[in-house]
Amino acid sequence: MAFSSSSSSSTACRAQTDLSSHLRSPSLLPRKFNRVTPFRASNSRCPTVVCKFTRMAATAVDKELETAAEALQRPDSFGRFGKFGGKYVPETLMYALTELEAAFKSLATDYEFQKELEGILRDYVGRESPLYFAERLTDHYKRPDGKGPHIYLKREDLNHTGAHKINNAVAQALLAKRLGKKRIIAETGAGQHGVATATVCARFGLQCVIYMGAQDMERQSLNVFRMRLLGAEVRAVHSGTATLKDATSEAIRDWVTNVESTHYILGSVAGPHPYPMMVREFHAVIGKETRKQALEKWGGKPDVLVACVGGGSNAMGLFHEFVDDKDVRLIGVEAAGFGLDSGKHAATLTKGEIGVLHGAMSYLLQDEDGQIVEPHSISAGLDYPGVGPEHSFLKDIGRAEYYSITDEEALEAFKRLSRLEGIIPALETSHALAYLEKLCPTLPDGTKVVLNCSGRGDKDVQTAIKHLEL
Amino acid sequence: MHMASIPKFSTRLNFNQPLRAVENHAQITCSALAHGLLTSSNNHMTKTSHVLRLIDQTEEGLSNTGKFGRFGGVFVPETLVTCLDKLAAEFNFILRDSQFQSELAVALRDYVGRETPLYFAERLTDYYKNSKGEGPDIYLKREDLNHDGAHKMNNAIAQAMLAKRMGRKSVVAATGAGQHGVATAAACAKLSLDCSIFMGNVDEERQSSNVLRMKHLGARVKSVEGTFKDATSEAIRDWVGDLDNSYYLAGTAVGPHPCPSMVREFQSVIGKETRKQAIEKWGGKPDVLVACVGSGSNALGMFHEFVRDEEVRLIGVEAAGTGIDSGKHSATLSKGDIGVYHGAMSYLLQDDEGQIIGPHSIGVGLEYPGVSPELSFLKDIGRAEIYTVTDEEALHAYAVLCRLEGIFPALEAAHALAYLGKLCPALPNGTKVVVNCSGRGDKDADRVFKYQQQMGLATF
Repeated sequence: MAFSSSSSSSTACRAQTDLSSHLRSPSLLPRKFNRVTPFRASNSRCPTVVCKFTRMAATAVDKELETAAEALQRPDSFGRFGKFGGKYVPETLMYALTELEAAFKSLATDYEFQKELEGILRDYVGRESPLYFAERLTDHYKRPDGKGPHIYLKREDLNHTGAHKINNAVAQALLAKRLGKKRIIAETGAGQHGVATATVCARFGLQCVIYMGAQDMERQSLNVFRMRLLGAEVRAVHSGTATLKDATSEAIRDWVTNVESTHYILGSVAGPHPYPMMVREFHAVIGKETRKQALEKWGGKPDVLVACVGGGSNAMGLFHEFVDDKDVRLIGVEAAGFGLDSGKHAATLTKGEIGVLHGAMSYLLQDEDGQIVEPHSISAGLDYPGVGPEHSFLKDIGRAEYYSITDEEALEAFKRLSRLEGIIPALETSHALAYLEKLCPTLPDGTKVVLNCSGRGDKDVQTAIKHLEL
Repeated sequence: MHMASIPKFSTRLNFNQPLRAVENHAQITCSALAHGLLTSSNNHMTKTSHVLRLIDQTEEGLSNTGKFGRFGGVFVPETLVTCLDKLAAEFNFILRDSQFQSELAVALRDYVGRETPLYFAERLTDYYKNSKGEGPDIYLKREDLNHDGAHKMNNAIAQAMLAKRMGRKSVVAATGAGQHGVATAAACAKLSLDCSIFMGNVDEERQSSNVLRMKHLGARVKSVEGTFKDATSEAIRDWVGDLDNSYYLAGTAVGPHPCPSMVREFQSVIGKETRKQAIEKWGGKPDVLVACVGSGSNALGMFHEFVRDEEVRLIGVEAAGTGIDSGKHSATLSKGDIGVYHGAMSYLLQDDEGQIIGPHSIGVGLEYPGVSPELSFLKDIGRAEIYTVTDEEALHAYAVLCRLEGIFPALEAAHALAYLGKLCPALPNGTKVVVNCSGRGDKDADRVFKYQQQMGLATF
């Protein structure tokens, strides 16, 4: 199989061998992960890459072990998180998904792949991203007696392309190359994931097709231009409401047709297994770095993690590392749009019901006939009627808490961070920041809060100006 | 002393008025340089060490004279001299103050996002390989990944911290492309300093997204008729009106001493990191450094660390606009004459009567009729090589980097990248070239868009 010329062509062959040997020995399946820790920043002082595989013992009676067992099954071999997740796809896609899963698991232990990915994350994406102590924001939330939590921002806004999206895009593009795929497809709403995908395709010399709702294309013509400058083909989707969910459906249709040559870079922890797991793992570097940085900065763990939730990728990226640390609170913040009772929001976990969308069972915004309700949020990235199945699971078992924030509150938070810290956050991130208004008064003095600053807000300055009347 | 040697000019000085006649005095004020050049032989070794000697002499005398050879100085009204002396003293102090330095280091790491990567641009390297598959290895110093998207923040955060330390309550600055304005506004927000940014109305239109960002960050954006040079004059006038409370945050290495030195010092983190990263990556030094030159801050930030390493070529790339002979360009070092502007002696674009010629470039941040006195010095002694690149070439380089590496360079940085087209064919196989990718090009996407539409170019 031909790979494009690169210094790591020898490693590509090695992955080939690993992959085929994996497929040839079915007795190695199913595998359960203890912990997959494949991705590490190079200037970390932690030891080298480890990945442990354990066989589950049939005798797990201890309560602690039961909880641990529960934690280990994220997802299980069928791609389920409890009852959520799974692979609700046409038969034609089953093989591609199995192949993808096998490749992913094999590359998790592939030293050359890990090294290459690490190098790209460091030199191309600009990791590790800082854990920044937001002094003025912390002061803002101090109570009259001078007490309050300490607020840290995980600066995913400093990544190349300005959001966390690239962590996953870069890794999936590398994976696709290893699989010998020459063509990449993706869906995009406002264009951020599209730009991230087009970016990595340019970097790796892959053909790129982005599906975008025709309505969205009109509203985001600059992002369309950017994708084209990066060499991608942007295809307009006119079906349905001509927005993100329709673009996703069209992308899946394309994948079904071209599965041999094409890899589908899904932008979030949604979709059929193995995507939720894979995308989570590729973003898990956020949480891993946070653990290390927290130790360096205050010699402990964070007490509370806060992140916005659209599909759920940045939140899973931060949370995953700490899911088994029961003393760490996980808080996800969704978009309440015009208000939860207005019917115009994207608060899937708060107001949705269980159903299947885009290949996975999860909470979703649907009407009584099971038709998808068009979501609304001022931030395009949260404007998704579904949510990652793992979030649905974490909510159901009570491990994570989910709240929602309106457009107005998000805009206020956008302004607040800009004025207090000189950081313009993405409107998506602003939802997480807005929740601090409700959270901080309840927290004891000195509580360590880490908020995922998932993206920068340059793309939102026009929108915000209109609303904030500056 | 710089002031004493040319007394009859200091009182008559109009801030905007450059002086050509001062060249006569140049022979008195820079004897070492003139003498050295007259007596130097063609012997390479003598010339090389002579250059080093000049550089060392300049560095030693810098804090006293504020001069780089015959360039630089403090050509300002009397009112500003005390203020600048205080600033120079404070600056010298913080250079040695470990508390300030460690606070700055934390801010650079956690707020700005340093250190920035030294990125091996594999596809760009392949693009410039010849038919035999040979060519230099091209690395990009990723200043585009800084908070706010350009190298400007390195200097803005450090100076804002200095201003706070000096007890100033407000900051005033001028900006061209808006990057320095945004960086200053951000730093002021973080340090709770009041912030006013002066920007030319022509620039405001061309870089409107940056204007919005500044407003969001809480800065007052004051419109000035014209472009960056006019905004600078206005900002300085504003500063002079409130010297006790106000701090003028210079965005680039021009202006009266100590501004050029300060900005260079704060930007030199770029070069320091590059040295370290070069050793890590290939166990040696870069062979060639390439940077775009508007006023010179990103170039000096990259070059300064290597100025004494004579085997490292320093290449500055200026804007030739619509063509170096068109009269619409910003190639100060290539086409300018020596004079005094905005408080320092340097090369500048002036006509026969000493009036400033309005510069032009598609890279708004390169549009300045003056240039850093230090760069003027480095060019004069032959340490730095200066070339130019047109608007078209820069736009083409922008598109090439997007397509090959998935990176949008600022149009300013695209000038440095464009020069690779002329540079690479002349370099031996495996030469290590480091290009300062001084900023990201999101701010330029819509201009490139409009330009491509105008040109009727297929948008793929």
